[in-house]
Order: sequence, then structure tokens, then C-alpha cells
Amino acid sequence: MPFKQVPQKFNAKINALTIGVGEKEITLGGENVFPFYTFDAPIENSPKIGVEISDLGAYTDVPGIAAYYAGSDTLPEIAKRASEMPGADFLAISLDGAHPDNGNRSVEDTAALVKSISDAVDIPLVIEGSRNIEKDAKLFEKIAEALQGKNVLFLSAREENYKSVSAAAAMAYGQKIGAESAVDINLAKQLNVLISQMGVKTESVAMNLGSAAAGYGFEYVATTFDRVKSAALAQNDNMLQMPIITPVSSEVWTVKESIVSEEDFPDWGPAEARGVSMEISTAAACLAAGSNAVILRHPESVATVSKLIADLM
Amino acid sequence: MALKGLDIFKLTPKTNCKDCGNPTCMAFAMKVAQGAVELDKCPHLSDDVKAQLGDATAPPMKKIEVGSGDDKFTLGGETVLFRHDKTFVSKNFFATWVCEGCFDGKLPLIEKVDYDRLGERMYVEFLNVVFTGDVEKYKELVAKAAKTGRGIILDVGDLDAAKAVIDAAGSRVILNGANASNYEAFSALATEKNAVLGVSGASLDELYDTVAALEKLGNKNLVLDVTGDTVKATFANAVQLRRAALKDNDRTFGYPSIVNLHKIAQGDANMQTALASLFVLKYGSIIIMDEMEYSQALPLYGLRQNIYTDPQKPMKVEPGIYPLGGADENSVCVTTVDFALTYFVVSGELERSGVPLNLLISDAGGYSVLTAWAAGKLSAGSIAKFFAEFEIESKIKSRTLVIPGKVAVLKGEIEEKLAGWKVVVAPNEAVELVKFFREFKA
Amino acid sequence: MGKFIIIGERIHCISPSINKAMQERDPEPILKRAREQIEAGATYLDVNIGPSEKGGEDLMKWAVTTIQQACDNVPLCLDTSNKKAIEAGISVYNRSKGKPIVNSADAGDRIENIDLAAANEAIVLALCSKAGISSDNDERMGYCQELLERGMGLGLEPEDIWFDPLFLVVKGMQDKQMEVLNFIKDLSDMGLNSTGGLSNISNMMPKHIRPIMDSAMVAMAMFCGLTSAIANPQDLRLMETIRSSDVIKSNTLYADSYLEI
Repeated sequence: MPFKQVPQKFNAKINALTIGVGEKEITLGGENVFPFYTFDAPIENSPKIGVEISDLGAYTDVPGIAAYYAGSDTLPEIAKRASEMPGADFLAISLDGAHPDNGNRSVEDTAALVKSISDAVDIPLVIEGSRNIEKDAKLFEKIAEALQGKNVLFLSAREENYKSVSAAAAMAYGQKIGAESAVDINLAKQLNVLISQMGVKTESVAMNLGSAAAGYGFEYVATTFDRVKSAALAQNDNMLQMPIITPVSSEVWTVKESIVSEEDFPDWGPAEARGVSMEISTAAACLAAGSNAVILRHPESVATVSKLIADLM
Repeated sequence: MALKGLDIFKLTPKTNCKDCGNPTCMAFAMKVAQGAVELDKCPHLSDDVKAQLGDATAPPMKKIEVGSGDDKFTLGGETVLFRHDKTFVSKNFFATWVCEGCFDGKLPLIEKVDYDRLGERMYVEFLNVVFTGDVEKYKELVAKAAKTGRGIILDVGDLDAAKAVIDAAGSRVILNGANASNYEAFSALATEKNAVLGVSGASLDELYDTVAALEKLGNKNLVLDVTGDTVKATFANAVQLRRAALKDNDRTFGYPSIVNLHKIAQGDANMQTALASLFVLKYGSIIIMDEMEYSQALPLYGLRQNIYTDPQKPMKVEPGIYPLGGADENSVCVTTVDFALTYFVVSGELERSGVPLNLLISDAGGYSVLTAWAAGKLSAGSIAKFFAEFEIESKIKSRTLVIPGKVAVLKGEIEEKLAGWKVVVAPNEAVELVKFFREFKA
Repeated sequence: MGKFIIIGERIHCISPSINKAMQERDPEPILKRAREQIEAGATYLDVNIGPSEKGGEDLMKWAVTTIQQACDNVPLCLDTSNKKAIEAGISVYNRSKGKPIVNSADAGDRIENIDLAAANEAIVLALCSKAGISSDNDERMGYCQELLERGMGLGLEPEDIWFDPLFLVVKGMQDKQMEVLNFIKDLSDMGLNSTGGLSNISNMMPKHIRPIMDSAMVAMAMFCGLTSAIANPQDLRLMETIRSSDVIKSNTLYADSYLEI
């Protein structure tokens, strides 16, 4: 007697969210099955990979990343180079240099800088904040205005600033926004409700549910993602059907495994290999748990994770 | 095969006698189908019927033990597909793929990557020993592999070779070679030698039939090799097996799995890291890799430890003194709780600061800082008790103690209880620690 | 578990305005009630066309098409004793938002509605009674077994038979209330879905009391495992109670704004 396969196809599905314009635009989400369960139903839009650079340049403290960007000096050149990395679907710019403690670049100057990046690349843009909530609200408004028509995604709207981010970026200039909650499923849902009550269409919203490096409480990440996808698909909870975008690189390149030197930990071998491995493992785990997009830095990680996605689709 | 309520109902006496405690035979049958009631509750079923229905009451996924006694490996026994539904019970194991020509080259790494993380030994638990054609040499290889003290997977489809080497493999052995054409002989050998039998199939249908046939022979000591031709097929197999067993109550597939990354990503270490991570989350029981480099072990074992944590029981670090950044007895002390995640985040930031510091971890019940404080597990009293128990004052000369910003209120009380100590309050968030300590003057 | 399913009861031929609209094929009064109920949180809408022995087929077809076309194919519960009318309704029914519900079968004259549901891949409401009110839970369970056996024998999935214990009026049958709840618990233990006309319990009570009594009953019944009810979704207190109970049962994830969504 043959095996009786019982497909798990849901009547609900994850929202499809498009960012960018033209030939290189990408769509996140749209599936009605669990991550990579192509045997239950076809998944139209594969998960996507973003390559992250800082508005202060590439993250060149890692030799392999430095080597990749060698010869690219200006930010637009670096951005272009990033956009050409094999496996890159979109470019993520972290506005580190706008943080009050880290140079405090003005809103106008930062917007001009981001505009120059946008002009240099043809892949979609994801604008990550400066990690300062008040500054982000101002930055996003100005950048959303400067990049009108580019259909970019702003990461992130948080509990403290969702009103201004929703009003400025999404409603005034028609851009997309990511709702950020740090591994807190009830807040994730509430934030989506509040943003939709502002009048932002749910199809314009992605979720950044937070992340953690492998070994650093990743069980909370996996469980949050599992529960969100279950609620979205099995319970048809339309306040959790937004696609998930996960910044992985910012978590993995700061943990001990990625930074302590080989001299201090001779058994462990070269730091870079460890960092790459942390980035690959964490990204693969995020995708397995439900990320529709991950943000990475190292060319080797991007190549591997891109192959993983292709092989699973 | 999954039994439906109606199938079971048909075999009941249909007398609605209530001897089982249920109002009707149908109610009884429906509950049995869901695993909510045991078949034995009905005193009127014949042995024949019980045998027929026996499977319906067995746990959906079998627990398989490789070896016996204290050093056995336990696989499977899962009851849920997602850890938040209850918990996962048997962590996955990792294996290194070894062959005649490559064993000696791989051995040093196998022995080197063997460390402790939160009280758990992190190492390659199994060696997958592949047969390449020469029985005598295979026997030697198996003996060498067994000497490492790891569990052995005999990757062999040749019955004579298997017979020749199985005794050399030790007591913790999986004979991975059964398929649709040879399962009877392999099953006989595995049963005789008390080995777990690994079964594979060209398709899920074939695997299903082979497992059903083996069960009919009475062999339920199995693991199923779900490795397919491609990454995609392998993932589909791993998920479908586990889901059929746990969601659809199809116990034929209720066995642990083997995923052989050597077959689907040979030579690509990064890809194997990615795939191993995937299969840690989604239903690999033994994951075979070409090698386990330290750089791969660090994320993979960390990830596994996270995923297989019981959601009801927080992971804890042992209380004690953790010197960081080359700290000695003169280095400043920092204290936080024993919740593993807090420990990792805080110690990571402290290491990153480059400042030598003694991290003091006291028993706070495995809670985060604020929760521990609210529950009375982190207090001036608990810290003073820890200082006394661990004789901090005789081991450390520094008299500066940095406490978490979130329990700044404890400063005065701690200073009262620890005479001669200067208590300093750290920032609220871990990310601010690097800056704080770089600028810190004791 | 999925969220509690509310079958909105307000499209009923007993209402003079609805009856008139049905006879005159005037969509607006019906659509108004449909939209109000959906807005208030109904999952399914009950469409009761009465016995309609004459012209029932046309009427049901018209009602199904009219409501589904105007309301994004909202799933419907086809409520009439005229079997042909139900079949006619199903023949034009759009399943994209959910299977049609046949309202209803029982263990007596209407047992063939089980067959109808099986033949049409529909859900069926199954009253655990034969003629009148069952005297105790043994009798209810006996009918349940009969209905279940018949349905499964015809290939219906057990979860597509929603058992109705028959809610009983408190004023007059107060001593039977716990029995009904215990029966719901029995159904739930068997893994079965359940439903019923909830507001029966508060019949003949003062108007301002009814929502309070209905709310208490729905909370207790949901605790026992009730999965659905035929009710008035515009009863705010009832809906707030259902939404809160859904959160407590983890049928939906909590968010501060849970009452608003």
C-alpha cells in the first residue's frame, strides 16, 4: 500500500509585498504553505537575500568583505558593488552614521547620501534605521520623499514611532514599511493592527520579528516565527500575514564566535570562517522558520544561502 | 496506516455497554483514534481485534535507542511538530562521514571538536563508516572508527560485508543498508546483533512499503534514511515522514531519520552548514556531514542546544567566577543572572570591550534580570550568599562590583551586606556595555 | 484550534422585512443585514427561507448568488426544510471562502440531509435529536453515533458534521443546562465540532438580560469545547465575550486591540 500523502495547503496565505521598480523588483511572500513546503503547494516567490552596507561604507573589518569591496571607494560605488554580489536580491543600507553617538549626520545630508546610492543601483532598497527611534522617524520621512517612486522598504516602524513612520513613509510617499518587534508575538500583532488602523494597507507592511544568532536564544526566534506562520496560515489571522524580513548580519557579526581572535582561541581557527559560518547557519535557520527575506553581509554567506534557497525551491 | 474512528468503531461490540466509561462505542472509537483513550479500556475486544488495532494506541513516533546503558543514544519519541506545542525530546546527533582513504586525515578534527557548552558535551556523536568494496579493509576501518568511542553507522548495502564487520562496530551501531530488495536478510542480521536497522527507499512509497514489511517481520527497531537525490527531495522526505507520524497518526513513518549531507552537498562545507541548520529545525535525527570543523560546530551545536531546550525550563549557566578578557584576581567584578541567554549576551559584550573582567554568576533560578529580581531570586541577600559560598573575597582582590542597570535599586543594600565593596551600576542594555567598560575607571 | 465560528442568524424569513424582500427579490434589505453581520464579525451567514415548498429552489439560488456576489463570496449556511432548495443553492454556491453548510439534519425525518451533505461535499449541522428534545445525554449520544456512522459511511469527514446538542431555554429547563454543557464536552473529547442556536437559552427573558445570559453561556460552552454558534453577531456583549474566550483558548493570538479586529 503506497504512502498516503496529506498535503497541508491552507486557505489563507502570506501577503505578497513588492519592493523596488522595473525589472529588478522583487516580491516577498504570497505562499499558502509552511516555509519551503513546495510538496504541499507551489511557492511562487522564493525567499530573498539582501546585502547590507553601512552609510559609513562596507563592513571592512572582515577581510573577505574588505576584499570584495576593494577598489570601490565612494558610497555609490560600494553600493553598486554590493548590488552586483552574486545572490543579492536587494540592497540594505544601515544608517549607522546618522546615530547621535556615531557622527550624528544630519537628516538632509543622510537623505542626499541615500539618494546618491539609489541612483547608483537598480536593485530594490531596504533602508535600515540608525537605531535611534526619534532620529529614524525624521530620517525616514526625508528619505521617503527623496526616493519617491522607488518603492523602498523602511526598517523599521516600532511601537514608539510607528505613527510618524506610517504617516510619512507609507502614506505620504507610498513606500513600504517593516513593523519591528523584538521577539514578542503579541506586540508584533498589535503593531500591525495599529499600523493598519492608521490607514496603511496591510499589503504595504513587512514584519521584522527580531532575530538572534545561532546559540543565542534562537529558540525564541524559531518559536515566534513558527507561531506567527501558524496563526497566519492555520488561523487565517490577517494581522500576522505580513512577510517576515530578518536582519541576520547585525546579530551574527557581533557575537563572540565571530570576533575573538585565533590567537586568543587557537582551537577555533580563523575568525572569519567562524563569522561566515554563524551567518550561514543563522540565516538558514531563519529561513527554515519562516523568514521571507534575510539580510547578510559576507559574499560567501550570500552565495551559500542563495544556493540553499535555489536548491529548496 | 492511520486508523479512523469509523474503522475502530466497526470492530467494537456496538453494544454501548459503557464498561469503558464512554457513553457509546462510537465515542470510545473516536477517542481511541485520537489517542485520547487506550484500547484496553474496552474489556470486550478479542485479542485478534486488539492486535489489529494495536498500532492505533502506540505513540506516534517510536523512541529508538542505539546501544544500552548510560552511554546509549536516544533518537525520536517526539510528539509535536513545533516545539511551542510542548517540547522536543531527543536532540539530533551529528555524524562525520569516513572512508578507508580519508579516516586518518579526519581523525584529528573529530577528536579536537569536543567541548562543553552549558554542561552539554558538544562533539560528533556518530561516525558514518562507508563500505567501498574491500571487506577486510572495511573491517579494519570499522574497528578504528569504533575505537574513537563514537556511535557507528555502517553505511553498507552488501550483506556479506555487513556480516563481516558488525561485531567490530561495538554495541552502539546502526546498520544502514536495508532497502526493498534486501530487507529480510538485513533485518535478520540487525536483529541477531541487536543493532538498529537503517532503511532507505527509492521513493517515499517504496520506503513506506519496506517499513511496513519490516514491521510485519517484527522489526520495529529502525531509523529511516530519508536522503534523496537532491536537497529538495531530502527536505521533503524529512518533513513528510515526521508530519505523517505526528499530525496524521501514520505510525509506519513514526521513526527517526538519517540525513546524509555527503550525498547531497559533497565537498561544500558552507552548504553543509546551511543544510545542517535546516535539518536541526526540521526533522533530521542524525545529520551526516563530511566533517565538523570548529567553525561549523560553534553555530550548529549552539543552534541545536537552543532548539532542543524545553520551553518550560530555561537554560541555566553554572554559578561561579568566569574570568573574561584575561582577567585575574585584581580585575573588576561584574555580576548578572544565570539565565543562559543573559549570560551569553553579557559575556559576549564584555569580551568585546577588551577589558579584563571577572563575571560572577549567581544562582537566580534561570530567570532574566528583572524576572529574577521580581521573584526574589536576585537580591542583595542572594548575592551576599553567593559571595560567601564561593569565597569571592579570598579569591579576588578587587573590591569593585558592577551590577545590572535594571536592578540599580539594589546598590545600597548590597553595599550594606558586602562591607568594603564599591557597587557600581551598569547601563540598562547589554549593547551599551562595551562603551561603558572602555570608559570605566575602577 | 481555529477561531470560534459565528453563523449570523439575522437573514431569516420570520422577519417581515426579509420575508418581503425574498418574495419580491429585492436584494437591498437582505444585503444590508448581510453586510452588518459580516462587519460585526460573522464568519458564516445563515440564510433561512422557511419551508418554501413552492419556489424554494429559485429563491435559494437567488439568495445565494445575490449575497455571495455582493459580499465577496461570504460562506453561507442554507437553512430550509426543502431539500431540493438546498441542493439548488449548492449548485450555484461559490466555495472559495468555505464549504456550504446544510441546515440541518437530525436522527429522525431529516436524516437524509446527511446524505445530501456527503453527496455535495458540504458541512452539515446535525441535531442530536429525533422528535422533540432528547431526554438525556445517553439519548443524545445515541443519535450522535447514528448520525456519525451514517455520515462517515458515506465518506463525510467527521469534522464536517457539526453536532447541535440543542440549547434549551433556561426559563423552564434550568435543570438541564449542565447536561447540555456536559454533552458538548463529550463531543469535544471525541474531536467533533459543535454548534447550536445559542439564544434559545434566554428566550422569554427581559430584553436587557438576554445578552448577559447568552454571553455567560457561550463562555461556559466554549470552555467545554463548543466550536461554533448560530447567533446574532450584532450583540456586542456576546461578541466581546467570544473574542475574549478565543484569546483565553489560544484560538487567536492576543494583541491589545483584539476586540477591534
